[in-house]
Amino acid sequence: MIRVERLSKSFGSVSVLKDISTEIRKGEVVSIIGPSGAGKSTFLRCLNMLDTPTSGSVIIDGVDVTARRSEITKVRQRMNMVFQSFNLFAHLTVLENLTLAPVRLRGMSRAAAAEKAHDLLRMVGLAEKASSFPDELSGGQKQRVAIARCLAMDPEIVLFDEPTSALDPTMVSEVLTVIRRLAKDGMTMAIVTHEMDFARDVSSRVFYMDQGTIYEEGTPQQVFEQPQRERTRAFIHRIRSLTRQVTSVDYDLYALNADIEQFCEKHFLAPSVTHDLQLLLEELLTLHKPLLDPFVVDLSIAYSEKSGRVELIVETADPGVDPLDETAGDDDLQVRIIKGMSETIAHKREGGRSRFEIAIRTS
Amino acid sequence: MTLQNAARRAAALLVLALGVAGCGGGASSPSGTQTDARPRLVTLDDLKDKRIGVQIGSVYDLYATTNFPDATILQYPSFMEVTLAVSAGKIDAGLSDSDTLAEIIRTNPDLVVFGEPFMQSPVAAGFRKSDRALRDEFNAFLREIRANGVWQDMSDRWMVQLQRAMPPLPPSTGENGTLVVGTSSGGFPFGAVRDNELVGFDIELALRFGAATGRAVRFADQEFSGLIAAIVSGKIDVIIATMFDTEERRKQIDFSEAYYTQDSLAYTHRANTVPGGSVADAEARGSFIERVTESFRNNILLERRYLLIWNGLKVTAIISVLATLFGTLLGALVCYMRMSPLAVLNVPARIYISVLRGVPVLVLLLLMFYVVFASVNIDPVIAAVLAFGMNFAAYVSEMFRTGIHSIDRGQWEAGVAMGFTRAQTFVHIILPQMVQRILPVYKGEFISLVKMTSIVGYIAVQDLTKAGDIIRSRTFDPFFPLIMIAVLYFLIAWLLMQGLDHLERVTDPKYRRRKAVAR
Repeated sequence: MIRVERLSKSFGSVSVLKDISTEIRKGEVVSIIGPSGAGKSTFLRCLNMLDTPTSGSVIIDGVDVTARRSEITKVRQRMNMVFQSFNLFAHLTVLENLTLAPVRLRGMSRAAAAEKAHDLLRMVGLAEKASSFPDELSGGQKQRVAIARCLAMDPEIVLFDEPTSALDPTMVSEVLTVIRRLAKDGMTMAIVTHEMDFARDVSSRVFYMDQGTIYEEGTPQQVFEQPQRERTRAFIHRIRSLTRQVTSVDYDLYALNADIEQFCEKHFLAPSVTHDLQLLLEELLTLHKPLLDPFVVDLSIAYSEKSGRVELIVETADPGVDPLDETAGDDDLQVRIIKGMSETIAHKREGGRSRFEIAIRTS
Repeated sequence: MTLQNAARRAAALLVLALGVAGCGGGASSPSGTQTDARPRLVTLDDLKDKRIGVQIGSVYDLYATTNFPDATILQYPSFMEVTLAVSAGKIDAGLSDSDTLAEIIRTNPDLVVFGEPFMQSPVAAGFRKSDRALRDEFNAFLREIRANGVWQDMSDRWMVQLQRAMPPLPPSTGENGTLVVGTSSGGFPFGAVRDNELVGFDIELALRFGAATGRAVRFADQEFSGLIAAIVSGKIDVIIATMFDTEERRKQIDFSEAYYTQDSLAYTHRANTVPGGSVADAEARGSFIERVTESFRNNILLERRYLLIWNGLKVTAIISVLATLFGTLLGALVCYMRMSPLAVLNVPARIYISVLRGVPVLVLLLLMFYVVFASVNIDPVIAAVLAFGMNFAAYVSEMFRTGIHSIDRGQWEAGVAMGFTRAQTFVHIILPQMVQRILPVYKGEFISLVKMTSIVGYIAVQDLTKAGDIIRSRTFDPFFPLIMIAVLYFLIAWLLMQGLDHLERVTDPKYRRRKAVAR
């Protein structure tokens, strides 16, 4: 139904989509998930040419819309879109929002269009709002009207661009219920969403997008239960991380501490965790000082929302010895402190790199 | 606000304004105010350090500047304005032609002549230098009427018997085309408006000349100072406007033989000529109501002057409405060009907007009429519509652009994503919302256009303002016509505004529903 071949899109020098090829078949419900800035919305908007691809092609029912621009308005009439910001026509009533396109584009009679519009409004539960104006509706109601407006044109495909992102949390479910119902009716849909549970149970396929590509795709079970690749895993397990590189023995300890504090506050970690992290990092850096030349340390703090685990990872060039080896010298006390604050310590030396993974006690 | 209420309010305003006119009439006489400080004017020499009023572009303008270097010379657009200024004590004296002055003094006993006639000038018809043939025809015609007594008869009727109506004239066959005669109705006996018609010595002369040469005569009654520009640019064929044949003017145009001779005189307010002069007259002119009634009769009913006002009103309305329509369409085009990403379209549009907004509309009007359409015989009303429309377009195009920009990009996207073309999206979705947003500002711009049209008198269009000027030139009532014109402008603006208000209501989507609910 929709075939995408080597699709790329850049805004100026910023490359947003990189060489994407994929296919969406009739009757499929495809959820597109991923971190913000991954190009999800741009990908969706390239499908109906709201954004023009820089290269590659989009073929819809055999028509290459990137090559034959004149066809696009016809194609769009069968492939409607629901926007994050609803975009209801402010000067028209709810009913007129639904009848405008069928009357003007399909040549439907006003009466027939109105009748159909009433049916659709009933389906989304808003029949009584037919003569209201968009600014008199709540966000959830607006989005349901927008969905009904889409359906008024009998589309074969509906594209949803973050349909619930602009909604108050209390209104998300009323919109999702309507979309679920469409999925049940067999509508072909592509949905960009941040609602993971929804994506998991409504989709037949999930695209995880990251850095301008479809990084991983599969059934909801595959992507949500056994993600194969690292970034997918991090995203699915909601792993948040802070990474820094220290490049001098005279590094700015206070700035580093401030970053850690901010990170911990953002994820509601206990002050004791913050304190431990700061102290642990300082000790580790001090321990490495005499061993490294040049002094380059990559460090990251990873926090998994699901498991509640906080990990400090310190990676350097291999110093030739294990800095935590108690026999190493007078640093005995430091080593004791480090060991005392850690839950587990794993140290790997391979390929000329040395890597510590230290789990922090959080309870 | 219902229409009835609004109308009642407007009527109340009208009454108030007329009241002000009446009071103004009473206060207009300078008598009784600081009589001791009044200048004493006995001979022309007394003028040397006084305030002298002259009509701009007249010979007196040059004469006063040359002969009274220490005096303050004030230039007025017409002889009537000079007279009003003298009556009101704004200036000490005016300079004018003997016969025109005689008429004024007869109707205005406050004014007196002082000193000796200081100049005698030949009055002649003016022609384009390239138009020798017409001038020769006119000279032949002059000689003929002098020989057969027609001239003497005209002179007797207008200057001596003080007749105020045109005699029966031989009709013109019009077989030799049309003769456009530039004149400047400054009052009897040469040229004035009576019963909504031009009459006077100059007018009769022009009509007789037209009849004698088989030409239909069309008059362009305009500001005296613009006559020479008008003939040079070909807007008129001949000037018959009590114009003196002078060296200065000969540099630009040719003159016929003199058809009359005028003495030049200085005049002033009576109070300026008698020692300690003061005339206690004005206060005894009856009650307030009587004065208003009298003003009303003089300025509106007499000589069917309401026709003049009615015609002026129509012209003002026509120019306003047509210029608005033309300007709106042109503005839409300019807006389209301005918003185009193509430099060939948006650069000219930017230039158009900044130039048109930077040029005063009066200058634009004169340029349009005397330069752009110099060689085309164009109705001045059309030139005015074009000039005002072009000016209007520059302002509304930016208004449209702001309106379009103010509409959320999502509205475009929603329309396009549904399968509308960009043009369809604009018509069905963007335009209705834009109109609703810009109407309040658009209304203001429209009203200012209506008022701006009051300058069309400069290109010989008789609009409402010009009608008021003509009435003032006959009645010498400085206030009533002005107030009346002000009220009429307000009423036109108010009526047209009602129309736009209605449009604003019907484009408000919620209005339709409120109406449905109220039913």
